[in-house]
Amino acid sequence: MMRMMAMAGLLVMALAAPALAHKLKVFAVVEGDALAGTAYFAGGGKAVDVAGRIAGPDGTVVAEFRTDADGRFRVPVDAARAHTVTIDSGDGHVASLTVAGTGAAPPAVAAPSASPQLSGDDLSRRIDEAVARQLRPLREQLDAHDSRVRAMDVLGGIGFIFGLFGTGAWIASRRGRKA
Amino acid sequence: MAHIPDGVVSIPVLAAGAAVTLAGCGLGLRRLPPEAVPRVAVLSAVFFVASLVHLPAGVSSVHLILNGLMGITLGVAAFPAILVALLLQAVLFGFGGLVVLGVNVMNMAVPAVLAGALFTVLNRPGDGRRAALAGGVSAAVAVAATALMVALSLALSGQEFLPAAKLLGLTYVPVLVVETVFTAAAVGLVARVRPGLLGGKP
Repeated sequence: MMRMMAMAGLLVMALAAPALAHKLKVFAVVEGDALAGTAYFAGGGKAVDVAGRIAGPDGTVVAEFRTDADGRFRVPVDAARAHTVTIDSGDGHVASLTVAGTGAAPPAVAAPSASPQLSGDDLSRRIDEAVARQLRPLREQLDAHDSRVRAMDVLGGIGFIFGLFGTGAWIASRRGRKA
Repeated sequence: MAHIPDGVVSIPVLAAGAAVTLAGCGLGLRRLPPEAVPRVAVLSAVFFVASLVHLPAGVSSVHLILNGLMGITLGVAAFPAILVALLLQAVLFGFGGLVVLGVNVMNMAVPAVLAGALFTVLNRPGDGRRAALAGGVSAAVAVAATALMVALSLALSGQEFLPAAKLLGLTYVPVLVVETVFTAAAVGLVARVRPGLLGGKP
């Protein structure tokens, strides 16, 4: 028993270093007229060449894709509508994420005036796009950080297990004494 | 992988998993004397952290399962130990879903109990090398059985069986090798210093 305790202790110490999780995650944002994002295993590797599909708000699949060598994808969609991205690695790992649409009607393709001055709407749209582009790596990082396994969770879980079984043993021993 | 997330398996598979898990836990707990509870707790904790040891493999990353070792040392009591560890993994790390908990426990605990039974058949008390060998073989069988059960769970839920099984087979090979070596070493050690711990009899 002592040896097992020591073994468990050693394992925990080895794991105090950054632990990797294998949960599949997907992150996506609207960029201009496309849905761009990454698929990765929480805390670690990129999900390379994994199948994914994009469904519209009514559940119909509007696009299918495979992630590239970096686990990234970029699929043109109607950015005004909400979309649900689902990644399925085929071995039981599935992740999905719903990305809200921009809500606005797609801007007219051909600008009516040739004047160099930007209209107010056009300017604010471009600012939105630029800010979204700049924020994306930050949001990706935050998303990845959120699903990382922390040493505190590991230790808390171990404590919980011992507490639970300890309570069980306590109850069982009380019952044994009464009988 | 062994931790199936929510929304992948179908309702009949969920029901079967929940039923098997409930029955296994009931059986395991009823047969469990109070003085054996600490051992279940220790192995539950080992199982809980073992899933955090990751090996990159193919498109996925795999981790140790150690269900062979659980079955060899705990017998049917592997069910409650695995249930508690998986519940905490689901709640704290998001490994596997809560609704599919029964299926995940079934896929890991049934092979564990099988491995425990196989070990008692193969093991000859008093022979350390034989015990290590039996432990290694049982661990390999447990991992292979888990891979097969996960593939079956997915197949019965409408995923195509062959591609899923092929992917799983591929990702489970490194786990199988590592677990075989690890369990053989652990069982060999326990057989030498505390042979009474083996065989699933508390």
